[in-house]
Amino acid sequence: MSMTPSEYEIQAYVDGRLDETRQQAVEFYLAQHPERAAEVRAWQRDAQQLRAELSGEPNLVINSALDPARIRARRQGQARTRWAAAAMVLLSVSTGVFAGWQARGWRSAALQPPMADAIQAYRMFSHNKAGQFDFVSQHYGDLQAWMDAHFVAAPNPPDLASMGFHAVGVRLIATADGPAAMVLYVNARGEAITFYVRPPSFRGTLPLGRRRDGDLVTEYGSVHGYDYAFVSRSDPRMLRLVHRAMRSLT
Amino acid sequence: MTQHVIDDELREHLPRLRRFAYGLTRDREGADDLVQSTLERALSRWGTRRDAAALKPWLFSILYRNFLNDRRRSRRYAFVLERFHATGFEDHPSAEREVAAQTALEALERLPAEQRSLLLWVSVEGLSYQEVAQILDIPLGTVMSRLSRARQALRRSLEGEIRTPTLRVLK
Repeated sequence: MSMTPSEYEIQAYVDGRLDETRQQAVEFYLAQHPERAAEVRAWQRDAQQLRAELSGEPNLVINSALDPARIRARRQGQARTRWAAAAMVLLSVSTGVFAGWQARGWRSAALQPPMADAIQAYRMFSHNKAGQFDFVSQHYGDLQAWMDAHFVAAPNPPDLASMGFHAVGVRLIATADGPAAMVLYVNARGEAITFYVRPPSFRGTLPLGRRRDGDLVTEYGSVHGYDYAFVSRSDPRMLRLVHRAMRSLT
Repeated sequence: MTQHVIDDELREHLPRLRRFAYGLTRDREGADDLVQSTLERALSRWGTRRDAAALKPWLFSILYRNFLNDRRRSRRYAFVLERFHATGFEDHPSAEREVAAQTALEALERLPAEQRSLLLWVSVEGLSYQEVAQILDIPLGTVMSRLSRARQALRRSLEGEIRTPTLRVLK
């Protein structure tokens, strides 16, 4: 009897994994088929050679880096590092976004010259129209009293009578930083100068400065914790008057 | 299962994993890197094992897939290098290495990764055919036919060592 063994049986025979009965059956078959037997024996030799060449291979050098406890500890360390890195990235991004937003605010603020509201007030109320003032002054002392009643320790509007200008009225104006007041002075020729006083913005009080807007010039600064501005036509004579008025504030 | 018990179980399989990795790569440092990445993956996925008893085939399976992934990455890298006319990266045995191959390991190196793995798992590590089927996710019958082809390939590879120098002399 010579039943052809299955592929499974041939391979299992090579690996010595057949029970005795099946092993004998395969051996009987191989004895009848010398070519097949030679192939199977060669496979057995090859497997034996592989085993021999690899025997003792893994233990030649002890590698402590492969110990599971060390790998576990390293993984935990890496996880902590990753969390820390992620937190740093988040912090950096948040800081960057915040700083960027702040810088944008500062930049736009820096690009925008101060006392724009003083200019606007001049344009709106320098025409000396009746009914546009909250208080119409008859005497300089009345104007000072009105200012003291509305502002705490605000600079008093200067007396420009010696320069030919007298105060005709004062108007309260709302700003983002609090109430402001604009005093209008006119001379006999109808020329106007406004004195504008307001609380300082979030950037703090203003240093002395000047801005020009078309035919208008604004001289500004701060005194007693308030910002102030004189707005007038850009004219050397008017500028001299304004400078004298500014000196009278201190 | 406590960490100590898990670590002990893994330690038990370390020699086999290192031997298999070396048989696969023929590079001791590369083999240990492969084992290390295998253990890292095993630790991170310990809870996802479907069959808690079959630790050995599970570990071999991770190692084998890590090896294939590494090789794929190397090939992509080689492709990029080739695109930039870089030299010195060779994925196939050179003619000199063909001549020099005189051992079963050198003959094994010339076989595809799956045939190499099959022979190492069955002939060296003594894995059951069922375990191999589990690792490769193929039916048992397919394991047997592929094992037969792998053995034939190793035989041809070993015989090829005798033929190659003769052919070179006749040139």
